[in-house]
Amino acid sequence: MLKIEDLHVSVEGKEILKGINLEIGKGEVHAIMGPNGSGKSTLSYILAGRDGYNITQGRVLFNGKDLLEMSVEERAWAGVFLAFQYPVEVPGVSNIYFLKAALNGIRKFNGLSELDAMDFIGMVKGKMKDLDMDEKFLYRAVNEGFSGGEKKRNEVLQMSVLEPTLCVLDETDSGLDIDALQIVAEGINRLRDPERSFVLITHYQRLLDYIKPDFVHVLAHGRVVKSGGPELALELEEQGYAWVDQKVAS
Amino acid sequence: MSVTQLPNEHYAALISADKSELPGHGLAWLNSLREKASNEFSDGGFPSPREEEWRYTNISPIEKSQFSLATKAGAVDADFLQGVLLDDCHHLVFVDGFYQADLSSVGELPEGVVVSAISSGLAEHEGLLKSLLDSVVATEVLGFINFNTALFTDGAVISIEENTKVDKPIQLAFISSEGADLSLSNCRNVIMAKASSKATVIETYNGVEGSCYLTNVVTEIVVEPNANLSHNRLQAESLKAYHMGGVYSRLDKNAIFSQYNYTFGAVLSRAEVHADLGEASDCTMDGLYIGMDHQHIDSHTRLNHEQPHAISNEFYKGIMGDRSRGVFQGRIIVAEDAQKTDAKMNNRNLLLSDHAEADTKPQLEIYADDVKCAHGVTVGQLDDTAIFYLRSRGADEEMAKNMLTFAFANEMVERIELQPLRIKVLEQLLKRFPQQGMKIEWL
Repeated sequence: MLKIEDLHVSVEGKEILKGINLEIGKGEVHAIMGPNGSGKSTLSYILAGRDGYNITQGRVLFNGKDLLEMSVEERAWAGVFLAFQYPVEVPGVSNIYFLKAALNGIRKFNGLSELDAMDFIGMVKGKMKDLDMDEKFLYRAVNEGFSGGEKKRNEVLQMSVLEPTLCVLDETDSGLDIDALQIVAEGINRLRDPERSFVLITHYQRLLDYIKPDFVHVLAHGRVVKSGGPELALELEEQGYAWVDQKVAS
Repeated sequence: MSVTQLPNEHYAALISADKSELPGHGLAWLNSLREKASNEFSDGGFPSPREEEWRYTNISPIEKSQFSLATKAGAVDADFLQGVLLDDCHHLVFVDGFYQADLSSVGELPEGVVVSAISSGLAEHEGLLKSLLDSVVATEVLGFINFNTALFTDGAVISIEENTKVDKPIQLAFISSEGADLSLSNCRNVIMAKASSKATVIETYNGVEGSCYLTNVVTEIVVEPNANLSHNRLQAESLKAYHMGGVYSRLDKNAIFSQYNYTFGAVLSRAEVHADLGEASDCTMDGLYIGMDHQHIDSHTRLNHEQPHAISNEFYKGIMGDRSRGVFQGRIIVAEDAQKTDAKMNNRNLLLSDHAEADTKPQLEIYADDVKCAHGVTVGQLDDTAIFYLRSRGADEEMAKNMLTFAFANEMVERIELQPLRIKVLEQLLKRFPQQGMKIEWL
């Protein structure tokens, strides 16, 4: 589904990613772990298409197509979704309208008719219930005045409504208490599907207690320094990231 | 200090022409008022950008265009009128500066309430007009006001009886007809909300698109003790027109006055909203202005806190696209005796193009020592992070930008409680953003 080859990225002349290679197959869940400043968030923004990054080398293929050539919205239409570490507040735009416009944009691209208002509301309300979200959130402005946990839930709600095929979640566990973490993780687990892949970007192991990854990669200093199964996350949790630094140094 | 400037030949001739056709010509007190205003205009002319209060707005195109007073009302298309009138209101309709009884429908009013045109109601309401006319305007630069006083052809006289509530809003619809090219309409309104009364007045300004005319209007308002007046003004003139409008108000003790100012039309416009605040009065001033093409929109507000314990809240938002220019000059003056004043002023501007301009100048003059005053202004572009966020969810770039622009304006639209007015404001908003998929339901 996703193939990252020798990806080099710099910001203002400073190289952040120094040759990333990753391959993510259909239905797989990959966790990318690493200390602060390792380039985790940069990688997620590159996949979503944010401006301000200089891609100096390498390529990214999404279902065989060159992802880096696509605009931000084209990636969304093709099925890429980034759950933001810090979801953006959009005062004045109601959540319901935003969701509807986004979904219909994607449906239109895929040659499907627009969903009518009643069907849409029924569908969204069901998904909100799963995420233990009050219906009143639908009529509030996108993320405005939401708590940290509410914003993260809203990201997962958007994801479940838009049904992307590649979900990149950037530090989704940060700012969540244990109850919220469970609800969000359950929401994500419900979306697991043989046709859908996940990239979980996280600093800590705790999200992985609830969402079991198939593969774990350790990112440090702009490179994947180690890849393995779920046990690698536990190893990291035990030994801390200093261990990674030592490994890189040696 | 005022900078003297003589009116050009055209306007000098207009002001000194025979006034016997104007309403109230037989009344000595009105003649002398007009005479005084004529003389002052002859000496001072229209304001020049050398005046501090007119620094950002140069009215020389008005001088050059040589507008003349319309002599009668032109015809107005029924559909056009229908598009202007708000549902469920008492309506007074003025066309090219003249009251049109056949297009108006005042309907039933509570006892003692006056809603009349000057031209038709002068005999009956002379006392009211006399007590209000020229009683509230107080500004250093009187050019357009003097011009209005000297030459007004009509306007509304409104008086809300004590302890009376007028349920339906009163709409004063000012229309420039298709035949009004190069004409000038000059109306004067006086509004009195007597003690403990409550009412809503809406002034709307519309013209046939493409026609070039000048609207020069002055509204004077007195809000007596414990009265509550909501005054709204929707300026949607032709984009080739000029609009000079003023709202001058006096708030007595415990009075509540809310002024909402929506500006969309005219190539060059200015709205002055001034209020003198009595003890413990409460004044709201909200504004939304949207400029496209080469529009120049000037919002000039003044809050005179003269007595203690008064509250004022002012919030103006502007969106400037293309090569338009928005000007906001807001001044709050807190007199020495106005202790415990609570005044807030906020002006936020959004620039949609590199060629658009916003000039914002908040001024606070505080002579009392125990007051709360706050002001904030911003001029900015759309937030890149928000655009990226919307696009990452599947909105294309244009749609994302439109949504955010709409959202910026929405904060002011949401505050409009009157549904018919809200719809009209939304229609104007949608007209300015005709891009794909813009819908009222976004707001």
